[in-house]
Amino acid sequence: MKINGVAIEDTFAEAFTMRVARLVITGRTIGWAKEAAVKLTGFATSVIGCKCEAGIERELSDTETPDGRPGVSVLFLTTDKASLPEQLIVRVGQTVLTCPTTACFDGLPDAPDRLPVGKALRVFGDGFQASKLIGGKRYWRIPVMEGEFLIEETFGMLKGVGGGNFLILARDADAALAAAEAAVAAMTGAPGVILPFPGGVVRSGSKVGSKRYSNMIATTNDAFDPTLKAVTQSQLPEVVNSVLEIVLDGIDGPSIEAAMRAGIRAACRRGVESITAGNYGGKLGPHHFYLRKILG
Amino acid sequence: MSDAVTLSLTTPPERTLVADCIAADRFAGLDAAAIAALPVVHAGRAATLGEFFRVRGERASVVRVEGDCRRIEAIGTGMAGGELLIEGSVGRDLGAAMSGGRIDVRGNAGDNTGGALPGAARGMSGGEIIVRGNVGEEAGARMRRGLLVVTGDGGRGMGKGVIAGTVVVFGKAGPGTGRFLKRGSIVALGDVERPATFRYACTYRPPHVALLLRYLGARCRVAVTPAQVTGRYERYSGDLAELGRGELLQWVGE
Repeated sequence: MKINGVAIEDTFAEAFTMRVARLVITGRTIGWAKEAAVKLTGFATSVIGCKCEAGIERELSDTETPDGRPGVSVLFLTTDKASLPEQLIVRVGQTVLTCPTTACFDGLPDAPDRLPVGKALRVFGDGFQASKLIGGKRYWRIPVMEGEFLIEETFGMLKGVGGGNFLILARDADAALAAAEAAVAAMTGAPGVILPFPGGVVRSGSKVGSKRYSNMIATTNDAFDPTLKAVTQSQLPEVVNSVLEIVLDGIDGPSIEAAMRAGIRAACRRGVESITAGNYGGKLGPHHFYLRKILG
Repeated sequence: MSDAVTLSLTTPPERTLVADCIAADRFAGLDAAAIAALPVVHAGRAATLGEFFRVRGERASVVRVEGDCRRIEAIGTGMAGGELLIEGSVGRDLGAAMSGGRIDVRGNAGDNTGGALPGAARGMSGGEIIVRGNVGEEAGARMRRGLLVVTGDGGRGMGKGVIAGTVVVFGKAGPGTGRFLKRGSIVALGDVERPATFRYACTYRPPHVALLLRYLGARCRVAVTPAQVTGRYERYSGDLAELGRGELLQWVGE
């Protein structure tokens, strides 16, 4: 299969079930909402080192938010149920609570599993906090020097999907980067999906474990490192000199599939040799995204 | 089972009619005959609801009341769920001690709306009452939780002794509003005669008020202006003769 002359490998991306929450952060301006969201989702690229994966899903207009102000929706994923509220409490408390003008709302109101994020953060109010029940939802008003910080008492949690991916194999680094940027632009704002890595792009794809260091849970994906082509069992064609990876997390499989479809099509451009995907033989993750099936 | 139960006032009471049997959740399990047979008290004498109202529909938790009910008291007393729509004005004790559901009055309501039953320490403990008109004295008195919205004026002692919950009044709030407030909020969008035991804290844009007013506008179709949603409010803490953990938020414009 080829798109614009770029080969689509007959393989699949292997992804994992994760726990996901969606936060809606509003602010006096979209700028302040984004400030909070950027800090909240900072250092949240991979559960390998960050304990969570997070990113901005999309910007929201004032007609889409509970308080009628501009905002952003953020997806937050962890590998297990227990660590999602832990991460949210720490991060929201240090980034959204501290950010001028912001408020924080649940973006998964129908999810039956509820995380007591606002309920935990209310104690910052040192007893001066107050709650309000509005339309069946409880909110906490936490007094701060600016005025009040408003946060919903609980946030919904769903089973999500983490680790959707595809790799762009290009003739040179410039072509790889241009293709990755085009893919990210095509996927930005896709509903239910985030790209947790910087600019949505990963240059340091990893393999499980290490050939040399027993304490490492992930090390460089040497089979796709162009500089190691001559000394490892490389999977790169001779003409490929640079590889970039796009990692996608999402609410569900169909959301990731739709984003991958848009992203791969955008990445198929001059200088790109082929598109492939990372997997572990299908034995580790229950979600398999077959590239040719998605694009077919 | 029908979508709604409709009570049409066919015999207006000559004297006070106490009809605390009218509550949306109680009608959910009753057929029309059983609803008509519910007991009421007219001029101190026992009677039945069917002597005054024509009943249409059965086994529904949405109840519509039609007619001039100004002499009818205690509608919605202790209501725990469902929806009660009243097309006209009602007498005192509307929604007294209610704990859930919504009462929507297209007219005025009498004294002690959302208040407590005689001798009780707590008034309404949940649910929503929306009065699209004026209320009498001591509306929302001793409220423990819940929401009382008055689009017109509030009488003397509105929100007196509120323990928690929210009272919103769009018109003028009478003297003694919020007196003995422990916790809870009184949001005054018109003039309010504030007790001397409330102390000014600051002028700000309370985020929960914006959320609440947007909810009232969108869900309850209450006329709310953008200036009220995004505007500034003076915050008065009180009642300092009590716990002082409550607040009176007075809208002061953009």
